[in-house]
Amino acid sequence: MDVNSCVRLFLPAALCAAALVAGCNEREGSSPRAPRPVVLTYWPAPNPQEILLADTLVRVWNRLHPEILVEMQPIPVSISTEEVLLAAIAGKTTPDVCSNIWPGALHDYTQSGGLVRLDAFPDFDSVMSLRTPRELLERFRVADGHFYEVPWKTNPLMMFYNRRLFHEAGVLDVPSTYGGYLAAAEKVVTHRYEGGTPDVWMGDRDVRPIWWQRLFDFYPFYIAASGGRTLLAAGQPSFGDSSAAGVFEFFRQCYGRKYFPRTYFQGGDPFLLEKKATHFSGPWEVAAIRKFAPQMDFGVAPVPVPDDHHGPVYTYGDYKDISIFSTTTHPKEAWEFVKFLVTAQHDLLLLRICDQIPVRGDLLENPLFAAYFRENPAMTGFARQAVYTRGMDDAPDLKEIFDAIAQEYESCAVYGRVSARDAIREAVGRTNLIVEWNR
Amino acid sequence: MTGLNRILRRGRTGDRGAYWFILPYVIFFCAFVAYPLIFSFVLVFHRWNIVTPMEWIGLKNFDRLIGDALFYRSVLNTLTFLIIHIPLQVVVALALALLLNSGVRGRGLFRALYFLPVVVSGVAVTILWQQIYSFDYGILNNILHAAGIPSVPWLVDPRVAMPSIAIMATWKNVGIYIVLFLVGLQNIPRELYEAANLDGAGTFKQFRYVTLPMLNPTVVVIVVLSTIGGFSLFIEPYVLTGGGPMQSTLSGMLYIYNQAFSFGHMGYAATLGFVYALVILGVVVLQRRMIEQDVSS
Amino acid sequence: MKSALKYAALLAGAVVFAYPFLWMLAGSLKPELEIASLNLLSGNFSLQSYAQVLLKIPIARAFLNSIIVSAVTTASVVFFGSMVGYALARLRFLGKKMLYTLILFTMTIPFQIVLIPQYILMVKLGWTDTYLALVAPAMMSAFGIILFRQFFMAIPQALIDAARIDGCSELMILFRIIWPLSRPVIITVALLTFMSNWNEVLWPLMVVREQSLMTMPQLVTIFTTGGQAETQLGYLLAAATLLSLPVVIAYAFFQRYFIESMASSGLKG
Repeated sequence: MDVNSCVRLFLPAALCAAALVAGCNEREGSSPRAPRPVVLTYWPAPNPQEILLADTLVRVWNRLHPEILVEMQPIPVSISTEEVLLAAIAGKTTPDVCSNIWPGALHDYTQSGGLVRLDAFPDFDSVMSLRTPRELLERFRVADGHFYEVPWKTNPLMMFYNRRLFHEAGVLDVPSTYGGYLAAAEKVVTHRYEGGTPDVWMGDRDVRPIWWQRLFDFYPFYIAASGGRTLLAAGQPSFGDSSAAGVFEFFRQCYGRKYFPRTYFQGGDPFLLEKKATHFSGPWEVAAIRKFAPQMDFGVAPVPVPDDHHGPVYTYGDYKDISIFSTTTHPKEAWEFVKFLVTAQHDLLLLRICDQIPVRGDLLENPLFAAYFRENPAMTGFARQAVYTRGMDDAPDLKEIFDAIAQEYESCAVYGRVSARDAIREAVGRTNLIVEWNR
Repeated sequence: MTGLNRILRRGRTGDRGAYWFILPYVIFFCAFVAYPLIFSFVLVFHRWNIVTPMEWIGLKNFDRLIGDALFYRSVLNTLTFLIIHIPLQVVVALALALLLNSGVRGRGLFRALYFLPVVVSGVAVTILWQQIYSFDYGILNNILHAAGIPSVPWLVDPRVAMPSIAIMATWKNVGIYIVLFLVGLQNIPRELYEAANLDGAGTFKQFRYVTLPMLNPTVVVIVVLSTIGGFSLFIEPYVLTGGGPMQSTLSGMLYIYNQAFSFGHMGYAATLGFVYALVILGVVVLQRRMIEQDVSS
Repeated sequence: MKSALKYAALLAGAVVFAYPFLWMLAGSLKPELEIASLNLLSGNFSLQSYAQVLLKIPIARAFLNSIIVSAVTTASVVFFGSMVGYALARLRFLGKKMLYTLILFTMTIPFQIVLIPQYILMVKLGWTDTYLALVAPAMMSAFGIILFRQFFMAIPQALIDAARIDGCSELMILFRIIWPLSRPVIITVALLTFMSNWNEVLWPLMVVREQSLMTMPQLVTIFTTGGQAETQLGYLLAAATLLSLPVVIAYAFFQRYFIESMASSGLKG
């Protein structure tokens, strides 16, 4: 469904929600004698739910603040948001505010002087401390010691599983370790076997060596196995250890023993079609299941960890944050709007409309959110996991480092041509080359 | 009289109007040929992602290229492609051209059909071949299955993927070369065959000693065009494989594109482009030499 | 017997080249589950996949973009190309030899070397995400100029002299006298330019990111690789069919021109 038709479809609902939140004060909005308003441009992500959310929030804002008009304009649909934003910085056509900032690309934006320093606003600390736990917030401080983004939402990567398929294959406990997962896989795959290929797979991943695909398998598994480490430490690759090699070996087993297919599925999402038993994904999947496979009996669990793992299970949290671009001529007004976007009320709206997790510490305690989590029990797991998430390193060339990992993942895990240890050594070697060149 | 005067004046100073005729091209040349060429020499000494200021890094880009396994891999992949694509192209095109030239009926219709893939967009052809090559339900494996032959992992086996792309590229382009061979065949004087006949040469000998040598210029053209085409290979791996499996279909153009647009390394991408250009010129010169030697011997 | 074999081989060739296209067309009309079948017919043909493609991506707009870009570049290549070709063939001026060598030289430059700098030029001029970026770098072609020059060299000098004595300006000579005689070369250059711009995908991928400005092949590429097709085969085949259709229709009518133009490009290139 294209974005426009979606907006049209959702608009009545959005208007209702807006009226509700604004307390139905329809008449106040347009007073003709108001002074010329400040105009801000706001770019949300271009997917239907977030456009709807943005549209709703902007309507409310404009009603409450006729002196600061916000114009909402989804990020132009393209290959990737990062490319669009970089091109916009190059062409000085950035908006005032954008709520689709991926921390992995932040380095490029800050290096080019494209973003406004947020901790320069006097109330930054007080506003943030109300919302985000200190320890988590600190992870968003960049190398120069400042903050350039408000951590807005996170999508912790977790393991979805199909209860019926597990049950039919005789898998009684939800696997939480590599060993448990592989044993369950054996049962699921051999349970129904037709003409040489399994009828039901344990899982599947896009096998092409596309760097961001590794954000949905290798990276969360590595963060989990290493107890919450990211790829780099002090600018040097820190993944040359046994936890990364263990992840490669785990996926190598999954492909080698034919628990995962090496080709693509065709004809729709196999998890929604109940053709695979597990699926590594974020909270957005809950909405997809609700919409396309409402009959499915599913559960959500943390991603599997090595058999000897101790302590909490971290994962990759696919963060999307809010930043103000330095092209703005009204930084103060923009900051007011940013604060407006992250109030508790509007975080609730983010949950309700987008099914994505706001980066705040009180999700499960604050009574405001209680009703939502009661209605959507599957989301509780994500809210609990959200605290144990990691984002991306603040470094240049992360994409290329992920590309190097993706290449080795392919040779080792998917095709089994190289041992896990050698593959990781190669990936670390190439990462050194990349880091060295960029010094 | 004035007309004659004008012509006389032209004789000395040239046609004044001529400069207006060539001016648009000169502007175009400066902007889109000369400037990029000069700028590429500047870029290769810099690290730059367009957004941040350019940073002079001396020979570091070349240094990196020398140690870059993916660069060598992409050149090797292109050579693999050419080694399969060129002979296949020449043999298939020549065979079909000879068939078409042997006085059959419906020649125009067949030629038009063989030429059809040439005019269709490469993107459409690639999407189509993605389905033809698909492992589980593709046309090819369906046919093999019906014949009792096991499925071939066309695009998922690192050893098979590049040959698969070479076959697809042959299917797409062979129409042009059939037509080129047809033109070549028609330009061979009949007397040569008559003379060969008198000398008692059979069909095969006529082909070997008359047809083939006379078609040599056509072959040269085909080899050079296919080589340049092979080095520009982009959309096929971009859509079909993303360069995989195991980098076996990473083409030079795809690597440049990735460096420039996925990783934002404009300087390094320009360096790659620069070195590829040298490789291409080297290969073409080498081919010309080899084929010319072949003719003279 | 021998000729039966010949026809069998020719027919096999025809099947190899034509069947995939028919399969593509059939697949775009069939429901998802029947696509894998080799059978071209089905009782369940529908336009469902097309409806979905039209809903998901602005392909009609992309068609229009492709037409605009290809038409403008073609007109420009023919117009300016014939002017330069005429100057090189028929006029005398300082530096003529040098210009000719220069044009031949540009034909030997591998495009890989200028691609990135050209893109950066577009960024610096602020032309990315505009038609200008798609059109400007393709407005002239060295190859077109050379083809025009070669053709114009063969036109009798007497014709031109007569026109000059009649007081025609050089521009009038080119467009009133030369053009009407040059139909074949104009068709060749126009067709080749139109086709290569119509099918170009790498350059648009580099300079256009806004969906509403994308050309047809670019939009279909992004539709294929970007996941919007939701791994539905039917959608992909419908998009590929829509992309092929305009060219195939044109080819059906002007087949001879297509083949002759391409052949001449190969021989001289």
